[in-house]
Amino acid sequence: MSQSNPLNPNSQLPALQRLIDRRSFLGKSSLGFGALALGSLLGSEGLFGNSTAPTARSTPNHLPDLPHFKPKAKRIIYLFQSGGPSQFETFDYKPKLYDLQGQDLPDSVRKGQRLTGMSADQTSLPIAPSLYGFKQYGKSGTWVSELLPHTAKIVDDLCLIKSMYTEQINHDPAITFFQTGHQLPGRPSIGAWLSYGLGSLNNNLPNFIVLVSKNTGGQPIYTRLWGNGFLPTQHQGVQFRSGRDPVLFLNDPDNYHAKDRRRMLNHLKALNEVQHDQYGDPEIHARIAQYEMAYRMQTSVPEVTDFSGEPDHIFDLYGKDSRNPGTFAANCLLARKLLEKDVRFVQLYHRGWDQHIGLPGGIKRQCQATDQATAALIIDLKQRGLLEDTLVVWGGEFGRTVYSQGKLTANNYGRDHHPRCFTMWMAGAGVKPGISYGETDDFSYNIVNNPVHVHDFQATLMHLFGIDHERLIFKHQGRRFRLTDVHGEVVKDILA
Amino acid sequence: MLRFHHLILLAFGITTLLACQAEWPPAVSEAYDALPKELDFNIHVRPILSDKCFLCHGPDEAKQEAGLRLDLPEGAYQELANSPGKFAIKPGSLRKSEVIHRILSNDPEYMMPTPASNIALTDYEKAILIKWIEKGAEYKPHWAFMPPQKTKIPAAADSSWNQSPIDQLVWAKLKEKGMTPAAPAAKAIILRRLSFDLTGLPPTPAEIKKFLNDPSPDAYEKQVDRLLASPHYGERMAMDWLDLARFADTHGYLADRYRDMSPWRDWVIQSFNDNLPYDKFITWQLAGDLLPNPTKEQILATGFNRLHPQNLEDGIIDEEFRSAYVSDRTDVLGQGLMGLTVACAKCHDHKYDPISQENYYQLYSFFNNINESGLVSWEGATPVPTLMLPTDNQAEILAYLEKKIATQDSMLQASEKVETSAFNDWLTAEQYKSIPIKHTIAGQIAHFDLENSKLINRLNPSQKAKMNRRFSKSEHPQFTTGKHGKGLLLDGEAWLDCHKLGLFKRSEAFSIQLQVRLPEELTDGYLFHKGMGTRIHGFRGYHLYLKENKLELMMAHTWPDNAIAEYAEVEIPRKEWVSFTFTYDGSSTAAGCKLYMNGEELKTQVEIDNLYKDIIFYEMVDPIYPKPIEPGLKVGARWRGKGIKGAVVDDLMIFDRELTALEILQINQPEALQTILSKSPSALTDTEQAQLRAHFLAREAKHYQGQKQELARLRAIYADSIEKVQEVMVMKEMPKPRKAYILERGQYDVYGKEVFPNVPERILPMSDETAKNRLGLAQWLTRPDHPLTARVAVNRYWQLFFGRGLVLTTEDFGSQGQLPSHPALLDLLAIRFIESGWDVKQLAKMIVMSSTYRQRSVAGEQVRKADPDNQWLARGPALRLSGEMIRDNALLASGLLYKKIGGESVKPYQPAGLWKMNNATYFPDSGRKLYRRSLYTFWKRSVPHPTLATFDAPDRSECTVRRQKTNTPLQALVLMNDPAFIEASRVIGQQISKAIDIEAGISHAFLQLTGRPPQPAEITLLLHTQTEEYQEFSARPKQENGWLSSGAQPLDEDLDPALIMANAVIASIIMNSDASITKR
Repeated sequence: MSQSNPLNPNSQLPALQRLIDRRSFLGKSSLGFGALALGSLLGSEGLFGNSTAPTARSTPNHLPDLPHFKPKAKRIIYLFQSGGPSQFETFDYKPKLYDLQGQDLPDSVRKGQRLTGMSADQTSLPIAPSLYGFKQYGKSGTWVSELLPHTAKIVDDLCLIKSMYTEQINHDPAITFFQTGHQLPGRPSIGAWLSYGLGSLNNNLPNFIVLVSKNTGGQPIYTRLWGNGFLPTQHQGVQFRSGRDPVLFLNDPDNYHAKDRRRMLNHLKALNEVQHDQYGDPEIHARIAQYEMAYRMQTSVPEVTDFSGEPDHIFDLYGKDSRNPGTFAANCLLARKLLEKDVRFVQLYHRGWDQHIGLPGGIKRQCQATDQATAALIIDLKQRGLLEDTLVVWGGEFGRTVYSQGKLTANNYGRDHHPRCFTMWMAGAGVKPGISYGETDDFSYNIVNNPVHVHDFQATLMHLFGIDHERLIFKHQGRRFRLTDVHGEVVKDILA
Repeated sequence: MLRFHHLILLAFGITTLLACQAEWPPAVSEAYDALPKELDFNIHVRPILSDKCFLCHGPDEAKQEAGLRLDLPEGAYQELANSPGKFAIKPGSLRKSEVIHRILSNDPEYMMPTPASNIALTDYEKAILIKWIEKGAEYKPHWAFMPPQKTKIPAAADSSWNQSPIDQLVWAKLKEKGMTPAAPAAKAIILRRLSFDLTGLPPTPAEIKKFLNDPSPDAYEKQVDRLLASPHYGERMAMDWLDLARFADTHGYLADRYRDMSPWRDWVIQSFNDNLPYDKFITWQLAGDLLPNPTKEQILATGFNRLHPQNLEDGIIDEEFRSAYVSDRTDVLGQGLMGLTVACAKCHDHKYDPISQENYYQLYSFFNNINESGLVSWEGATPVPTLMLPTDNQAEILAYLEKKIATQDSMLQASEKVETSAFNDWLTAEQYKSIPIKHTIAGQIAHFDLENSKLINRLNPSQKAKMNRRFSKSEHPQFTTGKHGKGLLLDGEAWLDCHKLGLFKRSEAFSIQLQVRLPEELTDGYLFHKGMGTRIHGFRGYHLYLKENKLELMMAHTWPDNAIAEYAEVEIPRKEWVSFTFTYDGSSTAAGCKLYMNGEELKTQVEIDNLYKDIIFYEMVDPIYPKPIEPGLKVGARWRGKGIKGAVVDDLMIFDRELTALEILQINQPEALQTILSKSPSALTDTEQAQLRAHFLAREAKHYQGQKQELARLRAIYADSIEKVQEVMVMKEMPKPRKAYILERGQYDVYGKEVFPNVPERILPMSDETAKNRLGLAQWLTRPDHPLTARVAVNRYWQLFFGRGLVLTTEDFGSQGQLPSHPALLDLLAIRFIESGWDVKQLAKMIVMSSTYRQRSVAGEQVRKADPDNQWLARGPALRLSGEMIRDNALLASGLLYKKIGGESVKPYQPAGLWKMNNATYFPDSGRKLYRRSLYTFWKRSVPHPTLATFDAPDRSECTVRRQKTNTPLQALVLMNDPAFIEASRVIGQQISKAIDIEAGISHAFLQLTGRPPQPAEITLLLHTQTEEYQEFSARPKQENGWLSSGAQPLDEDLDPALIMANAVIASIIMNSDASITKR
């Protein structure tokens, strides 16, 4: 078949000539092709990913009109506590409940609000006060549960929001709502929006990284929580996994070394250049740049996930779990390392907060697994000067009921989902430290002061990044979409 | 936000200021001067009005600020409601048109659009609006809502562009743009393009050779016909349809369980291969079940409407999700079939298109009438309604059994007749008088009399019941005064758990009898049940439930459709002892279920009588049920249901046969029985005679009993056999349609006005003769004068071949969508499509035969700059292959591809542990299943297969008609290191190693992977590389190497491993290069 080459042979010779030139150049250059290719392409192609998405041929690193105003936060770490942590055993101290133990929740408090199908048919809704004691901590005198001794020590750095609320009463819609602004699948996640709007701060790691604590059990989660929705695919979160292959397919085959891969990429680039000469399609160069980015990730990801350089006092700070990759504590430490490398958005998912039954034991275990490392992260970021421009967020998708789901006994109870109020906290960049915002009633059933809706939280988060949430839009199916749909108010009172 | 009626005085001032061009902002003036001579409303004006004005002044009646709407001329021209004497638009008069002053103003209080809207007009857009109003502000209906028009086909100057109207129309557009078409693509290139487009697979070297060596003028057409006839054609076309139909192998949402809808997917493939006309194709899917005498295929096709995600998160509000499913069907109809974003009208009137919120819920009501549940059941039962899909062999066996059962049934009836004379003798001889008044009844297997405060079966004291409640280990019985001696007082949360007693299959007869004393105020609560929770398990089992003071008797496989449910409306005495008896004859029918209160049978109303699968769990295990679950009878409470708090129960009895009415009297009203038995035959009433007759048959008639046992045996075999039959979700219309309402703000529980099935009239009214159901909807949709259906379909097929539609926004033909690049061509294709009888293969052939399609995709710098997206088609399409095609290409090139068509989805390689966060484990398949086409890769919505997802495959939670096309480093990692590609590289590497000479080997591999032989520069480069790589690897000590050990394919031990490695790297380089991953 070689005698009847069906291709137009016009550009063969110059291509070959250039190829030989390049190969001799490569031999001399210590940089190799990678740096060369990237240097010549960075300006036009963006740092992480190049899009030929339906609406745009290529996406610049950030949108031209962003940020809308001077941002307070450059990066964010969002410690998502999946399952709905109980506010009663953590931050929302309700001493009056002790006198009411076992009594039915008064209708005057419930006000006919809907319950989930899991407790709606209970014969009674017996009030269950926290089994765990509370004390005041810090200059702010904030009440914190005995389950969170480490968090208690840094409470003056936190801005507690005790008046969060949502409309969603079950996990899937509630988490999806929190992460994407809509309860049904299909919309971009917060991290995807930030990546789309603000672009990347670095050129060898993904912009939006997701870490999921291992071996927690609990409610299942799913990749759409860090999905790109209708935004271009490169804005989706990249999951870093513990173990040998932190990013899927990052590792080359066994005993195929970085220098082998480098050689292969040089050959591949040369072949692609021949094909570029043939077809003249700039997409080929864009793709070469992506291979170079992949190669850099092959170096930078193992570097950043390598803990061997961390001193013992850091492991001690985060707790002994931090030496066990994939645990919440190890992920907190990894998150700090990623933030140091200017990854824009690191999101941790820690499952297991869904204590419908056996809450006292369950929440104790959850707190033990997360408390120290959470506090350590704040301390560590602070001591490195990173807390100033890093936003830290802690919270789940909803709260839990004051009444016991299932049997209430002297030392055991469960709590059902409760969307009407719950607590989360923010810390760091641009947020007032050492305050508690919002207030719930004596049953932590209804909000009595300063309600903060999920969309308000999202608007505030974007505000801290210098984004007017009403102006970061993406036109899709003829409609201007935004994270906060048509809602959301920035919670000005918590801004520093 | 400021309204039009504000600041009239200020408006006057500005009016005089800006009325003539000299006073416009210079940039607007400049833009104005550059405008074309003639403006077209649809091309130039509507997109601006729509995008910039309709949000507040468009079709949404609730949002027309200042009462002004600009989407209709009547609205725009009329006097402003709040500003008498003023007009938004006065055709021909800039001075009198308020719009002009507003758009030119810089005053934040006055300008339009308002600053708060975050929407701004460009100078060009302002200039357009000025010129349009100046020229008379003519409105035209939106192009996509007018039927396609036939236009004159202009001749092209080049004769090869005069063969097809496609080419003539493209030519005309190119001429208009000052461009010229490209030369035809090289033969190898076009064959690869064509093969991927028609079959999703590359051409094989033999196919390439045949084509290259075929000098005949119709050589290309022969290839087209060959590929259209290939069984892989259906697979390729199905890939896009599966995105549209949001086909997946799991339910989606939180606990993302497997559900097998592969028979539906295989039907799609088969339909494309059979070239089922498109109008039938969509009619069957929307409404196949409503066709006269529908075939299994026609019903199976309706699975289309059930592919949406379904939620099995316990605790959800059932109606919230049921409503979401109905909406999802409506949205797919809109986006997928009509190219309209109807979903936008779910919460309010559409902001841009003439679809009111009422229209939305009218469409919604077509899909609202199926007997389904928002919560799908945990044990993995197929959500109802379903279609049973036996294999041929199974169907044969079932048919045989059905026949046997029918025969046996008639034998039983015959036997009953035969027994009549014996009965008459028995009656006349007054033998009934020897029926004992009180007696241990045959078939009784349990009696809990609760005496001595013990929960023991008196008939078998080794069988103990206990008080139980989920997640509680400390439940204790509370005894009080019973009907006889002790009774059990219930707290409404804990139940009397009889362990395995009361465990019956649907083919088994049984009876349950209970004494209960209900408290005054109780209106709801489970008296007894066999099953786990309530909806979480689709009510599987049976129960007697006090529901709003009525009695509900239910037997269910999966509520609400695969079940028997009946109600008795009867005054139930309170604070006194009442007995309830439930008897069942094993027939799986409502008629076989009877309910007695105090010994008297209750009249019931049957709500559903459709039980066709079993009522037990078959000892299911599951992450939350690690121990097999198979509960028996439970009394007085139910997990996640209401219990009978404050009630007392006594004398629970279980029988493994259907009791007769007289036996029930024996237990409950011996005095009444005595009255009957004391009568002489002539004094017996008809009812009493019938009761005696039933009793005689049940207890005395031996032959009859023998026949009945045989019937029960056959029924049991039948019921057990049908358990193994595959079941798929389908549509099934409820006999009485469910009422539909406007849901205010789209919320499932906020009902507005009641609505009835109808279509958006402003797009095309439905004729009165058309049935107002899904079939009528399909007929409306496929009417030849429907402005959207054919256009939307041909556009999608055009996109399939060219990478972009003639209308770029495949999903949106509305006001906010893009205008067609070639309106005449779009209309021509739509009209031809309809005239051809909606013949998809003919359409595909027409497109791929065109010179437009067959152009080279290579373009010079100038052409690329002038038209980077190739919308004017001065060159052929060049597109990165989809993830599916990239993998299939590697599999076919390496010879690994297993070409079987259809069947259950398969699990190729995937990194371990990915599903863990979804509490699931992925077990890869083995053998040939590892090498099936990617179309069959298991599609888990919550954790999509990374090989495909990385290449922009959607998660299929919703309708997708246009995939993204990105280029990311993660894609590079997949192609370099995914074991699927490493393995394929190594297999190709082995093939190269075995070639006569290395150049031939590499050239052949190149041909297999890219569809063309390498150019001299390429082969030179690759040979050079191969030498270098071989030297590198042969210089190394022997060690385990991933290139050699990846994948299930055995390593060829006869070959030099260093050589295989070097050649595998060569294959990988080719596989990663543009020539492989791009279709040019």
